[in-house]
Amino acid sequence: MSTSDDPLADPVSDSLADSLADPLADPRWEQVRAAARVRVPTPPGLVGRVLRSVGGIRGRLTTRPLELPFEGGSLTVTERVVAVLARKLAKEFALAAGGVHVSAVAMESGALEVLVTVRFGVSAGAAADALRRQLTAALADQLGAPPPPVSVHVVDVHPR
Amino acid sequence: MDDAPDPTARATASRDAAARDGKLLARAAGGDHSAFDALVRQHTPKMYRVALRITGSAAEAEDVVQEAWLSSWRALAGFRHESAVSTWLYRVVTNGALAHVRRRRPTVSLDDVRPGGEEYGRSPLDGALLAAAQASPEGQVVRAEQVDAVLRAIAGLEVSQRVPLVLRELEGLSYEEVAEVLEVSVPALRSRLHRARVALLAKLREQR
Repeated sequence: MSTSDDPLADPVSDSLADSLADPLADPRWEQVRAAARVRVPTPPGLVGRVLRSVGGIRGRLTTRPLELPFEGGSLTVTERVVAVLARKLAKEFALAAGGVHVSAVAMESGALEVLVTVRFGVSAGAAADALRRQLTAALADQLGAPPPPVSVHVVDVHPR
Repeated sequence: MDDAPDPTARATASRDAAARDGKLLARAAGGDHSAFDALVRQHTPKMYRVALRITGSAAEAEDVVQEAWLSSWRALAGFRHESAVSTWLYRVVTNGALAHVRRRRPTVSLDDVRPGGEEYGRSPLDGALLAAAQASPEGQVVRAEQVDAVLRAIAGLEVSQRVPLVLRELEGLSYEEVAEVLEVSVPALRSRLHRARVALLAKLREQR
């Protein structure tokens, strides 16, 4: 296998490294083995958030596309389109606001559910409300029709 | 890992798990959502662990994992069973974590500066990881600060050295598996790992 286009190619040519004895035999390597044995807990709810996100973009085969009211007719949009748009927009708004992190976005029962975590010290209610308003307005702009109801849920607080 | 109690039993379990994953993935590619959900439940913990150890940030690691699963779902139809499902997922999450590390802002806001002068982008650990080190039985036997020092040292390495170290030394993948994840030859990987190990020991020496 060619390694010439390897994105991780080590640019440093360190002849000293090649000449040293086996690092695995160094007594300090036991510290590395100990570090490998440390359990890394999965954040509570992460699997659920992933499942909601995946469910959001694949949509449900049994669910009909959303029909949004439109002047002189109606606009039909699949759940997947709305969820992908909402996910991208919500992340942009959260990044701009600071202290808010979007964990998952999913369409459930015709409504958009946005799960966020906030940094300690950030007003959760104000941040969630701002995100909900910004997201609703941006979706209305993108879709050209009133979007589905948006609910923002603050699911965790992360340290400063 | 090197001190695994029974390599034969471990290899058998690994083969069984690979076969099970292959069946789940085939069903998922055929439109069975519950099969894909089962893969998510099974593999998310290790994908998070890899993402956390490469990015050094719990929030970034969560993003990486979410995006990795979304990418995996989109790529289901194209999976050719040329590698094990777990290897494929390791590759997806590793590439995602690398992309996150490379997208980091060149400047650091005041909010991102941690006590002790560490910057968000270079911070090796999140509080959860440190807490785990201190709370686990192993962490109590081997001093937590030693474990912390190792993880900080790994996080301080160039990504070209950090990634193979994480996959081989912390995740316990074989040389062949790491080479497959990183799409390099085994001799090239061995050479890079040797340099990475030497660099890691040098950093540990510096911390004394």
